[in-house]
Amino acid sequence: MKKLLLLVVLLVSTNLYINAQSNTTDQSDEIILKGKEMFGDLSARQIGPALMSGRISDLEGHPTNNRIIYAGTAGGGVWKSTNGGASFNSIFDDYIQSIGVVTVDPHDPDNTIWVGTGETWTRNSVSIGDGVYKSKDGGNNWTKIPLEGSERVSSIIVHPENKDVIYVGELGALWGDSKNRGVYKTTDGGQTWENIFYVDQKTGCADLVIDPTNPDILYASMWEFRRTAWSFNSGGTQSGLFKSTDGGKTWNKIHNGYPSGKLGRIAIAVAPSDSNILYSVIETEKAENNGLYRSDNAGASWKKLNGDFGLVVRPFYFSRIVVDPKNPDVLVKGGLFGSISRDGGKTFKDPGRMHADIHDILFDINDSDRMYFATDGGVYRSWDGANTLDMVDNLPVSQFYHLSIDNAEPYNIYGGLQDNGSWYGPSNSPGGIEARDWNSVGYGDGFRVLKHHTKPIIYSEMQGAENVWRYDMTLNQNKTIQPLPVKGDPKLRFNWNAPISLSTHKPDRIYIGSQFVHMSEDMGDSWTKISKDLTTNDKNKQNQADSGGLSKDNSGAENHCTIFTINESPIDQNVVWVGTDDGNVQVTKNGGKKWENVTKNITGLPANTWCYHIEASVHDAGMAYAVFDGHTKNDKNAYAYKTTDYGKTWTSIISEDVKGFTRSIQEDFINPDLLFLGTETGLYITINGGKSWSKFTNNMPATAVHHIEMHKGTNDIIMATHGRGIIILDDISPLRKLTPEVLNKKLHFFDSEPYTMVEESGFGGGSTELQFVGPNRNRNARIIYYLKKRHIFGKMKMEIQDLDGNLISELAPGKSKGINIVTWDYMTTTPKMAKGKTFTFGGFTAPRAAAGKYKVVLTKGKEVYTTDLEINYDQNSVITAAERKQHQKVTKKLYDMSEDLAYQVYEMDQMLAVAEKISADNPSLQKQIKELSTAVTELKSTSVITTGDNYVGAAEPELREKLATLYAKVAGGFEPPSSSELENMALLEERFDEGKKTLAKIKSKQWAKLSKAMEKMSLDIPTWDDKMTFLDK
Amino acid sequence: MKFIKSACFLLLILLSINTNAQTADEVIDGYYEAIGGRDAWNKVEGLKYMAKVNQGGMEIPVEMVQIKGGKSYMKISFQGLNLMQNVFDGETLWNTNFQTMKAEKATTEQIENHKLTVGDFPDPLLNYKENGYTLEMVGTETFDGTEAFKLKLTKKPMTIDGNKVDDVEFYFFETESYALIGSESEIMEGPMKGSVSQTKLSDYQEVDGLMLPFAINDGVKDGPSQPIVIEKIELNPTMDETLLAFPVESSTEPAETAPATGGNK
Repeated sequence: MKKLLLLVVLLVSTNLYINAQSNTTDQSDEIILKGKEMFGDLSARQIGPALMSGRISDLEGHPTNNRIIYAGTAGGGVWKSTNGGASFNSIFDDYIQSIGVVTVDPHDPDNTIWVGTGETWTRNSVSIGDGVYKSKDGGNNWTKIPLEGSERVSSIIVHPENKDVIYVGELGALWGDSKNRGVYKTTDGGQTWENIFYVDQKTGCADLVIDPTNPDILYASMWEFRRTAWSFNSGGTQSGLFKSTDGGKTWNKIHNGYPSGKLGRIAIAVAPSDSNILYSVIETEKAENNGLYRSDNAGASWKKLNGDFGLVVRPFYFSRIVVDPKNPDVLVKGGLFGSISRDGGKTFKDPGRMHADIHDILFDINDSDRMYFATDGGVYRSWDGANTLDMVDNLPVSQFYHLSIDNAEPYNIYGGLQDNGSWYGPSNSPGGIEARDWNSVGYGDGFRVLKHHTKPIIYSEMQGAENVWRYDMTLNQNKTIQPLPVKGDPKLRFNWNAPISLSTHKPDRIYIGSQFVHMSEDMGDSWTKISKDLTTNDKNKQNQADSGGLSKDNSGAENHCTIFTINESPIDQNVVWVGTDDGNVQVTKNGGKKWENVTKNITGLPANTWCYHIEASVHDAGMAYAVFDGHTKNDKNAYAYKTTDYGKTWTSIISEDVKGFTRSIQEDFINPDLLFLGTETGLYITINGGKSWSKFTNNMPATAVHHIEMHKGTNDIIMATHGRGIIILDDISPLRKLTPEVLNKKLHFFDSEPYTMVEESGFGGGSTELQFVGPNRNRNARIIYYLKKRHIFGKMKMEIQDLDGNLISELAPGKSKGINIVTWDYMTTTPKMAKGKTFTFGGFTAPRAAAGKYKVVLTKGKEVYTTDLEINYDQNSVITAAERKQHQKVTKKLYDMSEDLAYQVYEMDQMLAVAEKISADNPSLQKQIKELSTAVTELKSTSVITTGDNYVGAAEPELREKLATLYAKVAGGFEPPSSSELENMALLEERFDEGKKTLAKIKSKQWAKLSKAMEKMSLDIPTWDDKMTFLDK
Repeated sequence: MKFIKSACFLLLILLSINTNAQTADEVIDGYYEAIGGRDAWNKVEGLKYMAKVNQGGMEIPVEMVQIKGGKSYMKISFQGLNLMQNVFDGETLWNTNFQTMKAEKATTEQIENHKLTVGDFPDPLLNYKENGYTLEMVGTETFDGTEAFKLKLTKKPMTIDGNKVDDVEFYFFETESYALIGSESEIMEGPMKGSVSQTKLSDYQEVDGLMLPFAINDGVKDGPSQPIVIEKIELNPTMDETLLAFPVESSTEPAETAPATGGNK
């Protein structure tokens, strides 16, 4: 039956509306609801974008089916393609989204998939993992494997001959010491694990590969590495390449041919078609020794072949070699642009044009010319050996660092992304939010992007304020306005993600933070430092020129002792809050004349914990929230505090519900107890000021939420996620009204503001089938109610009625426990159309309801619940009240004529049926029957289509079709009927009247004649439904 | 006294084990008990649903009939015209084309896959063992805001584009009442391939001693869905077999050349 029903959906749902079911929550003493129970129908809207996509960390194929491809991403989970990489679906939403490796079990490749979490491309902004997961059904369901504690998993290998033997390479923690590193092995399918190769607390397994012909042989690349907030170190005496020939029991260094001294990250690969051939790319103490080494004797000795830039660049980011499965001399190395060799590693060339920063490569199992590349800008595919490449357009795994919004209608969202520039795009767009709706407003790594509050000016920033653009949208002109050092200044230290913020009091005012707060009152043309150095100015954390370890890596990403967040109070422009990456919270109450370091007043916060965001409250000038992120000190706890006295005292607002470290917070503008917290594993919401938190998971993946904004006009929560693009939680106002009283009711309707019938009917939808399109906000009226229990037994229905109790529309109520949201598209009911040979498409249009007050009547079993609902016309409408009346009048007239005609045709069909029924048995009535049939058939053939089909075999339109077309044209539009439409109506009305007269004549003449004759012969004269009954059926 | 306390404690533990560690069979036993009993359900020979779907203010009547052994049809009415969908006479699966209003056969693969499900009356769970299916307890999950047992049913493998694939359905039973409140399965073909289809069931009402859901919400998980309201359910209906036969076209009407609406040409 389910398949039958699904078919109904597919057949009739060309324009579906979401009537989400929902659940609710409750925060009373008696009732504690969490997650889906609490939030019910409130569902997030993932709007992408996917046009720039995001960083892909790992690719994995299927050993026998080249349609199946998995993409592990840096912050957007795992995606699966079942069509050879044409498109992908997310399959790992509920779990931590930073992925190190995806492995398909060769014994059960359709079903058993392993995912090691925690990306291993350890850039400064890299997220974290929390262990290993396994799916036994191709990715629909996942279970966590009892191998926890590792922050990053580099490799998972299922023994090719024994499905219960699995090896896991754990790189481990990036930001601190850890014992969870090295190589692990299970022999019971993953239930118990043994650490079979461990070096020390600083050195993890960066890569693990197996000899495909002799699975007792394994190669492990061990890497000594460490990151702090201000530095990176790759390499040490413990790094090395190791081999085991006994299934991991013993390991020996295989460095014969390598230079002596410290080593950094090592990439290793075995040629699948000749396992004696190994390739490694090594990072050494001397740049001239870095490069590709080849062994033709399974690692017994190595020979350096090539040290091209493409091979040695940024080992921590690109140490991946992939060898063609069929040809041992064809290999590809990840890199800034990637490198391909077709001569066994002697020489390399770049692949064709694609997004820079290649992290992994996948060859098709059947045709090595078909290749897939994992880049910082999504998955690319090639059909010609990587000469030309095509981007996958439906992977919305973009990594936003920050966002801002404006007050346009619909509002726009502005933000910058990891290695993908800065953009703005709309929160709603005709046909959905498409790639073409997004506009580029910055290059490089993009961060904060802000729209001037009143002028068509956008500010955007790249990489440590290297450029801060002031973009004039009208002139399409840029100017860079970053503060420059002036006489007496020390070196200005800008964070990689340097803070810029605007004033809500003075539209031309901008703040930018280095170690100082710079303020401009003229949109960046001139700057004043309004603070001293507000950081700890710890010189030990300012040696970025030496950062990188064996390979220098001074990109600016490690700049430290900088200001990270600046927020002017929306209540008092003289109150400005500042948070620094080295743990200071500073506040001024006099526009910068005096700053107070209030860090010491925060109890329970470890020293120097990065202040990621301060939210200056809209409720009170002395009120603020500060969020701290300690993960760069290897502290993954959540920290968020509230002050109401300008920082003199702080209260922790974190409960044990919150898992993972925190980056952002947003307060509700109405209810001070309603807060939204962005963590590394998703969104949490509290309705009691932080006493308890509930994770929001309705269409909200467990992705890192770097910044949150709230839109005052729509009550939307908008999130900048670092891996799943922009995610919007539309209209959170029901959460403001969740009180203990409400939660104890069986059913409670939430009051709503009047809804507006937006008068828009534009085009849209220019995307191709495989391009991502973000869903729009639902603009329908919303009927929101709380159900204490999920409705299961008995009838439940919902009607919209006018104030006199007349039925206007029937809706399908949500049945979930918790908050239910039922939407009404303002439509009443379609007219009953005359039955013809084909459809008349105009008859599928329903008239919109008139503005005004309505009743919502919900019947649940024997109980009836009601609430009021008000709908308004669009305030932006150019239509006058008189015109609207005219529109409704003409719509109604055409509606009624269509239904009248339907009844006329019904009567004709009834008469024809009688004639046909009695024809054979009553030769004496042939004359009357023929007269009737001829007259009725002739009239019917001009009333409704009686031949043809619904496509190019369609017959000429008759009265029904012409009426319906005009009706739909008028009813579907907003404007009053044009004179052309009225003239057309007059023409149709004439024909309608004629038909009506003709039918009346037939009834009084031919039908009466036949009836009389039938009466004489004592034949039953059938009767049929009157018009009311007919229309009601 | 101590003995009594210990016994009570033991009983409590046993009870909590009983409620916490349900097996898949215990769950569906509870389910069938709640909806009228396995025996009664096994005696049902057919089901006829009179339903309606509301689309943008248009009420679309839908009639669905399913008979033990696999014969079935669905009749959708638009503007008084009937369109037959998913009609299966035991051998052929066919549908009415919306443009030409004529019957067209499903693909051979679809027909073969459909034949694998003929034993699924009234649902695939009732006699899953006899049908050679496997049922597993996945655990509990919050479904539609409420705690539900999640069961996985693996049916006979289907063939999709020439490849054998597992036919898997997940079922959700409310833990308190054991009522089936929903199901999910991966969409295996077509443009939505890879997404998860989701069905929600509610409004259980009695029909001749059996409990049946009268409200169904069907769609894509976290995506669009379509509510279907069942107005009447008839047990053991008479099947009009003539409806099931693939119609043989008696005559072809001449196609006229007038322009039509409703699609690109």
